[in-house]
Amino acid sequence: MKKLLVLFLILGLLGAVACRRTFVATPDVQVVTTKTVTLDANESVWSGAPTHVSKLILQDLVEPRLMEPSTQEVEVQAVTDGTTIAFRLEWADGSPNDLPGPHRFMDGCAVQLPLAIADSVPAPQMGETGKTVQISYWRADWQAIVDGRADEITAIYPNSKPDHYPFNARPLESNPQAQQETAKRYAPARALGNNREGPREQPVEDLIAEGPGTLSPNPQAFSKGKGVRTSRGWAVVITRPLPAGFSKEKSSQVAFAVWEGSKSETGARKMRSGWVNLLMK
Amino acid sequence: MARVNNWQLGREMSYWYPESRPQKQFAAVFDINKCIACQTCTLACKTTWTSGKGQEYMLWNNVESKPYGFYPLAWDLKLLEMLEGQKWNESGERPVYEGSTIFESAPAGERVLGWRPEDEDYAYPNVGEDDCAGGVDGGASILGVHDMAWFYYLARICNHCTYPACLASCPRGSIYKRPEDGIVLVDQGRCRGYQECVRGCPYKKVFFNAMTGTSEKCIACYPKMEQGIQPQCFENCIGKIRMAGYLNTPDKAQADNPLDYLVHIKKVALPLFPQFGLEPNVYYIPPIHVPTSFTKQMFGPGVDQAIKTYREAAANKDDDLTGLLGLFGSSEMVMEKWKRVGDKVIGLDAKGKEIVNVPMREPVVVRPAYDKLYQITRGNCP
Repeated sequence: MKKLLVLFLILGLLGAVACRRTFVATPDVQVVTTKTVTLDANESVWSGAPTHVSKLILQDLVEPRLMEPSTQEVEVQAVTDGTTIAFRLEWADGSPNDLPGPHRFMDGCAVQLPLAIADSVPAPQMGETGKTVQISYWRADWQAIVDGRADEITAIYPNSKPDHYPFNARPLESNPQAQQETAKRYAPARALGNNREGPREQPVEDLIAEGPGTLSPNPQAFSKGKGVRTSRGWAVVITRPLPAGFSKEKSSQVAFAVWEGSKSETGARKMRSGWVNLLMK
Repeated sequence: MARVNNWQLGREMSYWYPESRPQKQFAAVFDINKCIACQTCTLACKTTWTSGKGQEYMLWNNVESKPYGFYPLAWDLKLLEMLEGQKWNESGERPVYEGSTIFESAPAGERVLGWRPEDEDYAYPNVGEDDCAGGVDGGASILGVHDMAWFYYLARICNHCTYPACLASCPRGSIYKRPEDGIVLVDQGRCRGYQECVRGCPYKKVFFNAMTGTSEKCIACYPKMEQGIQPQCFENCIGKIRMAGYLNTPDKAQADNPLDYLVHIKKVALPLFPQFGLEPNVYYIPPIHVPTSFTKQMFGPGVDQAIKTYREAAANKDDDLTGLLGLFGSSEMVMEKWKRVGDKVIGLDAKGKEIVNVPMREPVVVRPAYDKLYQITRGNCP
């Protein structure tokens, strides 16, 4: 009976190991050159790229801090076609969080690189004054919108029944431009071009920062992305131009962050990595 | 954290930023005793500012019945519980708050002590409406005036606090207090929708908009205030319970400033939950029929004196106070100054120009039931 129990235990352990992806983790993020880059996290191109497992730590340097750890690690792969670099991030997350609302927060991830490759590296916590970092930020709700979710409150709250919006009033129905203008009056953020939600072509946002609290849109909106659910969480591909000057001889750094929506993680409340060497293989 | 002076607490306190008072501070006085909860203020605000997508649930202005009304649910009870009791030392000339503010109680890793309502907490804006505290004995409501049960209406907007917790909570400085008038605004171009302000504001007067992805709040109708016109919820108040203007600190109180007169000189208008530590700038004349054990927690230790002064104003022939209260709702313009000349109360603009002239008492016209001219008896009913 005892032998049988031990056998079951061994079989169980073997099964658990088999379910996990097997790879030899690299200490750096090694960028493999391929013919083309892809936004598809399931493409075969990724099977040839080494995986770096980035251990995540609490953002506990500036208030508001994250006090309890959530996402432990993120698996990272990178490929390039010589002009564009693609990062594939995969992490465990039991349930998707992609519906915004009061006290609802979104799953997300970000890839951060220094603006310039230099001997003196910016602080990994979103850079520092005079040492800008570029951030490509993916969010699950933006992915849902890009994937076709309607830009309506009823898409978030299916049972809601808004009875009237002034911009849908009858006199405006035949004048789309006036209707649009009226709608903007009730959406000041959109009127100012702050597209936190709503129709967007990419689930990724380009940002720059020179330290905590300084995050602002990157005038160069060059990132693209696509996130999909996997059996254990999210797999997100983010592409952006290869950093200027990055080559086999000249390495750079990269850092990652993951937000777990179900744990109310947002903004500064996140799990993050330090700088990891980014090497051209 | 910096040390700042909070005169409502009678002491210094800790705040995220150093003390920086605006040139003028937007403020208001609401006379709770006049409010009938008609919600005209709520609708005036709603139709003006929050009729967009994602704003459906927002009430920058709301009127709730106390003790059982809340919007959002239990907004005040929850924080009061978290603060674990608040003590005032009333032995000296001025009461001093001896408890902790939400800034001083901030847990490790947080900027303020706060909490975030769930979306369900916004689902019942009329919860507790007209519900009495305690029961009413059978038949008491028919027999006439009874005093065993009470409720009152609490109209609420953003308090445009001197030490806003929303502003302190925002990690990216997206919320600012205008130096020219102290109005607190969310920069809609900069906000990234972290909802830290929603968490931090103890009055829960910042709302997250799921369709724009940013947080929004009462703007004190600043485009109107800039033109010397009171905000929508003031102008449309049919109960004439409200007066908007600008308030000085107690040491600079001016008797000809109507809000200074009510808040600092007569002390009939009191802040909402001063113990939270934000130095809120909407002041309430407390309800006179409610046990002060309840209202003291809500409006601070000045309740007894405020009610006494207010109640006895007419009997004491305090024509200045009764006259000024009659100025409420008499004009849509901001009356930065006022004066009483005989039996007339006059509202003035900042330069002293007359805006409105209100008699202390409306002339009484007695019309005999029998009209001699037409030889007919008239009733009051058509």
